[in-house]
Amino acid sequence: MLADREKVKAGRDVWVPTVCAGCYNCCGILAHRVDGRIVEIKGDPNAANSKGYVCAKGLVRAIDVHHPSRVLKPLKRTNPVKGIGVDPGWQEISWDEAMEISVAALKKVRAKDPRGLILSHFDIAGYRLSGAFGRAFGTVNMHWNRADYCGSASHPAWLITNGTLNSEVDFPNCKYVVLWGTQLGHMVNTISLSASSELSEGRRKGHKLVVVDPFCSNAASKADEWLPVKPGTDGALALAMLHVMVNELGIYDVPFLKGQTNGPYLVKPDGHYLRDAATSKPLMWDPADGCAKTFDTAGLKDPAIEGSFTVAGQAVKPAFQVVKDHLATIDVEEMARVCTIPIEQIRRVTREFCETASIGSTIEVDGYTLPFRPVGIDYKRGMAAHKGGMNSCFAIHMLNLLVGAVDVPGGQRGVNPVGPYWTAGVSSDGLIIPSDFIAKYNKPYPGRKASIPKTLDLQELFPVALFTRGLYPLGIDDPEKYGIPYKPEAMIHGRTNHMMNSHDPAAMAETLKKLTFQLSIVQFIDETAEFADVILPDSHDFERWDMFPANDPYAFIAPGPGEWYFLFRQAVAEPPGEARPWTEIYMELAERLGILPDIYKLGNEMWNLGDAYKIDPTKKYTLREIAERQAKTIFGDAFSLDTITDTSASILRKKTTQEAYPRMFLPSRVPIYLEYLLDHRTDVQKVLDTLKFDWDLSTYSPVPHWIPCEAHAHMRGGEYDLIATNNKVPTHQFSTTTENMWIDEVARANPYTYSVMMHTSAAAKRGLKTNDMVCVESKYGNYVGRLRVTELVHPESVNCSGSFGHWAQGLPVSRKKGVMHNALLPKPTLDRIDTLSGQIDQCVAVKVYKVEG
Amino acid sequence: MARYGMVVDLKRCVGCNACVVACKSEHNTPNGILLTTVLEKEMGIFPHTNRVFVPVLCNHCEVPACAQVCPTKATHRRPDGIVFIEYEKCIGCCACIEHCPYHVRTLVLDNRVLYSDGKTTFEKPVAQKILNKVATKCDMCYHRVEVGQKPACVEVCPAGARIFGDLSDPASAPSTLVKDHAGWQMLPEKQTQPCVFYIG
Repeated sequence: MLADREKVKAGRDVWVPTVCAGCYNCCGILAHRVDGRIVEIKGDPNAANSKGYVCAKGLVRAIDVHHPSRVLKPLKRTNPVKGIGVDPGWQEISWDEAMEISVAALKKVRAKDPRGLILSHFDIAGYRLSGAFGRAFGTVNMHWNRADYCGSASHPAWLITNGTLNSEVDFPNCKYVVLWGTQLGHMVNTISLSASSELSEGRRKGHKLVVVDPFCSNAASKADEWLPVKPGTDGALALAMLHVMVNELGIYDVPFLKGQTNGPYLVKPDGHYLRDAATSKPLMWDPADGCAKTFDTAGLKDPAIEGSFTVAGQAVKPAFQVVKDHLATIDVEEMARVCTIPIEQIRRVTREFCETASIGSTIEVDGYTLPFRPVGIDYKRGMAAHKGGMNSCFAIHMLNLLVGAVDVPGGQRGVNPVGPYWTAGVSSDGLIIPSDFIAKYNKPYPGRKASIPKTLDLQELFPVALFTRGLYPLGIDDPEKYGIPYKPEAMIHGRTNHMMNSHDPAAMAETLKKLTFQLSIVQFIDETAEFADVILPDSHDFERWDMFPANDPYAFIAPGPGEWYFLFRQAVAEPPGEARPWTEIYMELAERLGILPDIYKLGNEMWNLGDAYKIDPTKKYTLREIAERQAKTIFGDAFSLDTITDTSASILRKKTTQEAYPRMFLPSRVPIYLEYLLDHRTDVQKVLDTLKFDWDLSTYSPVPHWIPCEAHAHMRGGEYDLIATNNKVPTHQFSTTTENMWIDEVARANPYTYSVMMHTSAAAKRGLKTNDMVCVESKYGNYVGRLRVTELVHPESVNCSGSFGHWAQGLPVSRKKGVMHNALLPKPTLDRIDTLSGQIDQCVAVKVYKVEG
Repeated sequence: MARYGMVVDLKRCVGCNACVVACKSEHNTPNGILLTTVLEKEMGIFPHTNRVFVPVLCNHCEVPACAQVCPTKATHRRPDGIVFIEYEKCIGCCACIEHCPYHVRTLVLDNRVLYSDGKTTFEKPVAQKILNKVATKCDMCYHRVEVGQKPACVEVCPAGARIFGDLSDPASAPSTLVKDHAGWQMLPEKQTQPCVFYIG
């Protein structure tokens, strides 16, 4: 914070507001620049998502900018052989030569079939730009990255119920928080700083925290109760809790189920809704008149949610009754045995959750009387990244739904389904659908029509998924097998590291080698960039201007009461050497390819530009000029980016109650019964028959099931007798932070971060002790690391942190630090893919043995 | 006169280490030197187990063992309670390091912030540059405190687990917390009277 007064006066010592891109959270920060060099970072107190705080990962980024291993000049490969450990023979070339080689390769692909190009990055603020580039170029293969890694199964569960992408809990009001396979509020996951702040306040106030996780994470360590579930059995635990809730305790929110869900919709024995013959609208049973009426009949306030009825000779039951009957078939004791949580504990936690929900209680908010449900469950990748991920997500979410703790004060809440210029819609069946602004192309509900794949990630085979990006290797390796009518040829890559964050690196290497041209725009030559044909030096995000706002408001503005704040990312310093922002490089490529006017035309649709601020496709704009127009669209003509000097946040206005707690104000209902899956299942089956694939589609069930993982089958009676999983630590994000020497210092001082964790009993059985070097080996791959014997991990599991263990020469700090869980995983096979959501199973059966070292 | 101190709320701390790197950044400490850390202690037997996160720093004792043994008075207790090292006066004799009951002092052998290439150094303006062959430790961000700001580790903590203030003022936030939550000090038997209190 120290400032040199003379330099301050001369403008050589300044604090510049911008937005951190160390992870996806878009926290407002202030960067201290002295004589053109960034020297430190602090939180921006006026940015409401971060409230002036900043995490360890964000703080240390000031030194990343000056890392001596940054790529500063364009490079070309001279060794045509590609592979792990193969020297690419990099040769420095001029910017023009790099561009000429790249443009020639891209033109060739475009002439043959533009879909042969894959765009690959994980840079949230750049999606809109690369999306327009991809569409202008003519490819459908965009955003190959590992966003699916955490969210393929959980995002759809929120999109179909909360009507938005992300989930959170009303921490200030929630008295009983359950974090299930997530560490939300512990400097991990979304809205991390404000959530951590609110959850700590809650802990001091005596709010209870329950954490479900096979590893005693930071969150589990802070919990009042840790439920160490066996990896991949979360769905079993959720179903047991649902059964206890509905059939043992009989506690559920009847008015909520009647008025806010499809619980009263009548269901035929074939699982489909009973529909009105004339309008096709789903019907509900009106006990007062003793007849069925369409769901939107005015005055029908008290439809039946239980019982069985006959309508025109057709036996039907309300959807809630179908759910209840399904849950009655759940063998709670068997589920308890499967998930290894004692039955008494399952019953007690469920009772505490149900009782704390205070069904029937209300709260006054700005003159509105709203339900007050101070319980909420948030869930994410830890429980979702399994074979039956979406079924488990929905089973867990049903616990929120049945007590009415969704998007009302106190409960689980979607992140901004309703905003100043978007709102959740309603389907013809009366159910919530997300705004086009949130999910324009892939709405998991109502879903898309299944078809023979045209996209390399095979998304056409997953019509109710949000994205299936982890399946790109399948499409790239065997396009013909999936009916894809073209060959993948080229990739523009940067800001994602496929070799580290996917599966067995040897298999990924074969996938990357299938591409005839790879342009990598990177700051460091990481394991994936080692496969590039041409490398261009990327700038750090402190060295670039982005579109406005940097925080996608439906995902990265804190939900609940507060203000609509929009954050602006601006360049704090000049990039070193010849480095340039990848976004600008895309624009230069577009110009040289002759598609810049097309990008501008698409941008006028895709970039939230008001009529007065559309761009002229015959002219050329900087990204800052486009950002200025986007900002004026939101804030009006008087607004200027020049005024953003003290804080990165611009406040539009206070949120309304309808925006903060939308559920009771929305015209839509929430599904507790997923009827729409039945038709999709039929469609998918037809496509699979055409392709002659035999897939298990039991996942397409209107009521949730627990589906075992491949690892559970492998463990039985065998050599591979433990399940490997990994965890997230608050000091690391993605596979990139290990290259920061300060974070590395902190991580090395921590007894767990770079270690392999095994329970005391499992270690004793194998004769292993702390500090032994061990090999963790699956049928598909292995890693070697230093063992830490601990009580913090499920006895049937072996655990490690993150995706570490780099080997690229261009990453001198992170090389050989920690281990790489993903090395244990195979290229996705059918028994490791959730056929509903496209989520890839991340747990795997392993054996562990001592090695020298 | 003030008696600056800190309360560490163990119930709030989530072990995120933002304080550790905020301190590192603020003081630009040499490679390998952390002036505050978060210790992790594993407790209990599965499944009734957890980790306790314990932030530790210089306790800024009222009766500082380090100052008592410092032959050059480089280490001394300021009137505002901050135990301070004047690096220019420190001769690196290590007496303070040996006598500190809390092991929060470090001898600086190489004061550079050196990148992995072994050549590039990271420099930034700091209040008092850490010199070679001196003892170093937390200085309670005296340079921030003097201008009315909180120490870097306090300002950055999203969980509000570090509360800074004047312990001589019974109405201050730390004084109130110590009173309301029966705050305790580390190793009271050493009779050093730390100005860092813990609540849980």
